[in-house]
Amino acid sequence: MTLQDTKVREAASHEAASRPRRRRVPLTPYLFLAPGLALFAVCVLYPITQAVRMSFYDWKIVASATSEFLGLDNYARALEDPQFWVALGNTGFYAVATLVPQVVLGLAVALLLHKRSPAQPLYRVLYYLPVVTSWVVVSLLFRFLFADAGLVNFALSEVVPVTDGQISWLADRWTGMVAISALGVWKGIGWSMMIFLAALQGVPTSLLEAATVDGASRWQRFRAVTLPAIRAALGFVTIMLVIGSFNVFISVYLMTGGGPAGRTDVLLTYMYHQAFGNLDFGYGSAIAVILTAIVLVLSLVQLRLFRDRDAGQVP
Amino acid sequence: MRTSLPRAVVVARHVLLLAGAFVMVAPFLYMVSISFTENSYVLTTPPQFIPDPPTTANYERVLAMGTIPRAFLTSLGVASVTTVVSLLVSSMTAYAFARFTFPAKELLFRVLLVGLMIPAVMLLVPQFILAKHLGLLDSHLGLVVFYVAGSLALNTFLLRGFFESIPAELDQAMQVDGANAWTRYWRLALPLARPGLATATIFTFFGAWDEFAWALTILNDPDLQTLPIAIRLLAGQGNNAVQWGLVFAASAIAIVPVIVVFLLFQRHFVQGLTSGAVKG
Amino acid sequence: MKRLPRSALALAATVTAMLAVTACSSGGDSPPAADQDGSTSENITLTFWGSYGNGGHSAQQDVLNNELIPAFEAEHPGVTVEYVDIPYDDLLQKLTTSSAADELPDIVRADLGWVPRFADLGVLVPLSDVMPDWDELADAVFPGVLATNYYDGKYYGLPLNTNTRVLITNPAALEAAGRDAPPSTFDEFVAMGEALEGTGITLFADGGLGAWNVMPWIWSGGGDITDAELTTSSGVLDSDANVATIEMLVDLYRAEKISSGIIGNEGAVSTSEGLPGGNYATILDGPWMTSIWSEQFPGFEPVFSPVPAGPGGSVSVVGGEDIVLTTASEHQEAALDFIRFTQTEKFQMALVPTGQLTVIKALGDKQIEIAPELEVFTRQLETAKNRLAITQGAEVDAILNAELTPAFEGKVSVREALQNAAARIDELLPR
Repeated sequence: MTLQDTKVREAASHEAASRPRRRRVPLTPYLFLAPGLALFAVCVLYPITQAVRMSFYDWKIVASATSEFLGLDNYARALEDPQFWVALGNTGFYAVATLVPQVVLGLAVALLLHKRSPAQPLYRVLYYLPVVTSWVVVSLLFRFLFADAGLVNFALSEVVPVTDGQISWLADRWTGMVAISALGVWKGIGWSMMIFLAALQGVPTSLLEAATVDGASRWQRFRAVTLPAIRAALGFVTIMLVIGSFNVFISVYLMTGGGPAGRTDVLLTYMYHQAFGNLDFGYGSAIAVILTAIVLVLSLVQLRLFRDRDAGQVP
Repeated sequence: MRTSLPRAVVVARHVLLLAGAFVMVAPFLYMVSISFTENSYVLTTPPQFIPDPPTTANYERVLAMGTIPRAFLTSLGVASVTTVVSLLVSSMTAYAFARFTFPAKELLFRVLLVGLMIPAVMLLVPQFILAKHLGLLDSHLGLVVFYVAGSLALNTFLLRGFFESIPAELDQAMQVDGANAWTRYWRLALPLARPGLATATIFTFFGAWDEFAWALTILNDPDLQTLPIAIRLLAGQGNNAVQWGLVFAASAIAIVPVIVVFLLFQRHFVQGLTSGAVKG
Repeated sequence: MKRLPRSALALAATVTAMLAVTACSSGGDSPPAADQDGSTSENITLTFWGSYGNGGHSAQQDVLNNELIPAFEAEHPGVTVEYVDIPYDDLLQKLTTSSAADELPDIVRADLGWVPRFADLGVLVPLSDVMPDWDELADAVFPGVLATNYYDGKYYGLPLNTNTRVLITNPAALEAAGRDAPPSTFDEFVAMGEALEGTGITLFADGGLGAWNVMPWIWSGGGDITDAELTTSSGVLDSDANVATIEMLVDLYRAEKISSGIIGNEGAVSTSEGLPGGNYATILDGPWMTSIWSEQFPGFEPVFSPVPAGPGGSVSVVGGEDIVLTTASEHQEAALDFIRFTQTEKFQMALVPTGQLTVIKALGDKQIEIAPELEVFTRQLETAKNRLAITQGAEVDAILNAELTPAFEGKVSVREALQNAAARIDELLPR
């Protein structure tokens, strides 16, 4: 373990040393950044500023109409809107219910698949299949599976008799959210598996072998060698999953439509209803901005959690 | 190392993997089975897994429609171009973030992160107005430009991690040899980040392949339609008239290219960092 | 290590080439630019958005593209009509974004509930102002459907096709209930539910509690959603008549005689599959169902009858589409010609066999001749009413769903639910 730590430390300090001196005006990095950041600024950042601006107005979508400036009224309205809190609660539920299984199971599958075997490529495809199926199709499919007379009820009563098979999954808030989360997990495991598989390529085999020679158990090797080596990937996956879970939309829209009576609404389905259903783009934008702010804070916290240790080692 | 594994562990591993694979594939098999079923058999209790009688009528109808094959080719072109451009641009950006120190680096990176967080539907209206001013409406170029822009943040974030995990010694060695930044990026970082690039390729291709809302928004000419739109048109309105057999047949066809891309690129995972440069 | 750079270079070259191709092709065929100088030029292209193509059921779109548009183009040399089919569920979003960027097509076939909101945005041309023959055209159509185009003193469109909901019954369920005809009154409806007990057939199914779903019951029960002047919902929606009507439905629901689809359970068997499938005895639905069932459930012979009559008679809800002209159109005269064309017998009658009911009063009899199965719908339309003609129709639906669902679940009383809904609808009404 100590051996490994030292190596990482060394690598980190070398990296720091290899960076160009700060005093010179660094032109090279900006040349590398230019195409990407320019495109990003024009096509993403500028529209974001427009969306934020909308949230301060009673926004009239047609340019010729004058929009009334409301200040923070749209934000205040959200805080007093019970439906907003229902949607926020459901979004939180979805985030928690999908994040942990996707990370744990995705990593578990990646570890199992990392060892070479003739069947490995086949397994990879099978596990990845849900990821590449379109959201629209799988959402409709899951609505079908969780229907009153669907496969899930059939499986839970006829195959594994644990219920009476009479659950109306999509007719109630929490069972509905469970069904929606099940889809999220099912579709997401292959995605996190992919990243972990790629990251596992970067785990130095020499270290693993050295640890084995030292008599470290399987779990110890995982903790001491593998986990630190895939830290960046782990951070990336959790951040992306949190972002993704707060942006859940199509699956809810198509599986329950937010129903019954808005009880399975998530932030984005509610925002969509306000913006495109009621043409209230000001309020819709305010909801979107709140959502972004929540996710941003969560991501920065995570970024700190996953980076801190490395950063601390740079002298 | 394999020889050291007890037999029981090997068996347990396969049992676990098989069980998991079944869960992952079962809904998909159900979909495929429905695509081979005549329409009126679709909703049955208990559900039918093996179509009886099986029919290829749905596939024949989909292929005969003309719109689906054309949309298929369109999507193939758009997704390929998007992937290549996005990979090039975002790997450059990621390289800068991973290998250089410059003012406002972390701030810029966080701004990039915000791009990942803002819900895409909220940007539809501002992006549409922008695309109009840029003259990008009703064209495939309009799709590619915004798909690339939309995939930048994710790919940069992903690739930055991969570039950072490349040992700095290698970089230094090349620098000592007099290689400039571009050479180090092109000759060293890119080849070593191959698993990352392959991952990004798979994600980006699928993202562009599957995108619906933006394509619907900017495209009017029916000849320019992408595959998700064509399939959505096939599905008809809401609950009323969905011909599941037809929709699932089209969807099954739509999965093929993504699987191909996946198979082509995932093999880059095999020759990783360890077997490549570090040992050599 | 050398392999990747080279292949990457090759890729880069491919990209450049492909981009060039894309750019060229996009530059080459941009139709809007081609007919910029509008009226004087020889060739005009009118763009027409709609959702005639109903999934795999392309009958309507085929008639339009292969018969009607060519006929119009033959009569108007130099005018090309480009019909763009947009999925119904996404048309509203596309109209909204396009309005924001001033990129609307010339003509739109819009759901009749959307006309007030887009008129309010100022993106529609008031046809009653720009058509010299307006009065003549307006007089020819059913007044009920014409009214859906009215907003703030002007008419912004003409009705294109109409429909309404009638009671559709599965003959097997009639037999199971020991009846020879579908229920024609509220009492018979409830009695049929009792007769079906133990058969495993659910009396009735619907897909929600929006205005489209509940208004036929409310009007037939002798109630309404607001007063005639659209000034208040309180005191109207929560009337005793409405409480009685909704309580009837709630009681049936609590006795499991109405499917849970009505409270928004997307997992319930859909009405279009549950009726022919024998799960449901009756549904309320429109004329398009015939063509869907004929493909999907050949051999199924549904029985059509008027909405069961309550104290207010048998009153259903008007649906359909209007045709509107946008302010973005650069070829107003040609577009108006096309709109006139949609009001002709040729246009109207060609779509009747596909389940599109005519909006022209004089063509009612001819319609029944062409499609006798549409007689019930034609008759029901004579008394059918419009939903609220306000800009926030979608919000009214959301309110009705949100407030009535707890009543169906037994969490609040029906009266309370209606009072809550009325209070919220009051806020949407123009003062």
